[in-house]
Amino acid sequence: MVTSRSVATIMALAIALPVVLLAQSAPGGPTPPDFSGVYRPVNAFGPPAGRGARAGGPPAPAPGQPLPPPTRTAPLSDGSQGRSPNAPLLTPEYLAKWQAMSKARIAGSSDSDNTLKCLPPGMPAMMNMAYGMEVMQTKDKITFFSELNDALRRVYLDGRTPTPAILDDPTYAGYSTGHWEGDTLVIETVALRDNTYIEGFTPHSDRMTVTERIRFIGPGLLEDRLTVTDPVALVKPWETVKTYRRATSPPGDQLREFACAEGFEHAK
Amino acid sequence: MTSRTLAVVAVLVALHLGAAPALSHHSNVAFAVETVLTASGVVKEWRWVNPHTWLIMDVDDGKGGHVEWAMEGRAPGVLLRAGWSRSVLKVGEKVIVHYSPSKDGSKVGMIARVTLADGRVLPNAPPGD
Repeated sequence: MVTSRSVATIMALAIALPVVLLAQSAPGGPTPPDFSGVYRPVNAFGPPAGRGARAGGPPAPAPGQPLPPPTRTAPLSDGSQGRSPNAPLLTPEYLAKWQAMSKARIAGSSDSDNTLKCLPPGMPAMMNMAYGMEVMQTKDKITFFSELNDALRRVYLDGRTPTPAILDDPTYAGYSTGHWEGDTLVIETVALRDNTYIEGFTPHSDRMTVTERIRFIGPGLLEDRLTVTDPVALVKPWETVKTYRRATSPPGDQLREFACAEGFEHAK
Repeated sequence: MTSRTLAVVAVLVALHLGAAPALSHHSNVAFAVETVLTASGVVKEWRWVNPHTWLIMDVDDGKGGHVEWAMEGRAPGVLLRAGWSRSVLKVGEKVIVHYSPSKDGSKVGMIARVTLADGRVLPNAPPGD
């Protein structure tokens, strides 16, 4: 039997609970959200570009029916359709570099594809997480792991800052430090190599830095808003948003080893 | 150009044309991805390796003979989620491969889909991906 007292209690809880949850995640609050888990990208390659670009396998055909046309899984990134209006806006020097690469790619050259050489995709491209992402979080450090090329990045949350030695030693993932602003993890990444791509095969300089704001936007739905700044290569900072969905049950919550070099002649 | 140089060139060209397909790794820019062709043949080798898998097959040439092709597939991790496995293709098994041809005309294709002898279809992406 529901008494007026229990109704009052339930109502009080209903009002208090969200307040308690908010208080826990307030700036400086003791309990930031836990991003730990395995995620799959939502629309890893962005909106479809051109005929046949839809991602995903073909639906199972009815017995005896002809198969639908096969689909491919990534838009063709040879630049043959020019630069997208949403692509980073390049300075003339870097646009010329992109055009030279595009010409080679249209001719069929894979030379500009670092990942095929088993090099890490690097930041910010690795946050595409096309094959899946695992997040490992502690109070002082959060680690992002990409199945594609077994790429790893560490984000330090303990207040350390990059030293001159760190800044003088650029890497693919760069050097990332972060802090919590309420429910949002804010990350600054510096010390990045210049031989990776911002997205697709958009080049950049070694002065590129990346700012990210990562938060849950729904149950198990993680959003990363990235801002890429490069005073040499970019006319203005470039912003993009990646979304990932948490995988909750096996086998989807397991990443597979990539061991990129195993298919190469020298590794046999 | 001397006749000797010509002979050397001819031999080199012949060697190149007759060579087994080189298994360097490609991105999709190396293939005419808007084109999907069909090859029927028999599995010679199935390499379940990163960064890309390889299906080496004898393709029927339509004249009673066959010619070796190398079909490049996606990474094992992605194919696992699409229903493939290390043992899903067996040596000697008949398969139909839907592939995009390489732009340089070599006997290398990019796998779009494989149909097994029992009619099962192996797509190149996980469902809903």
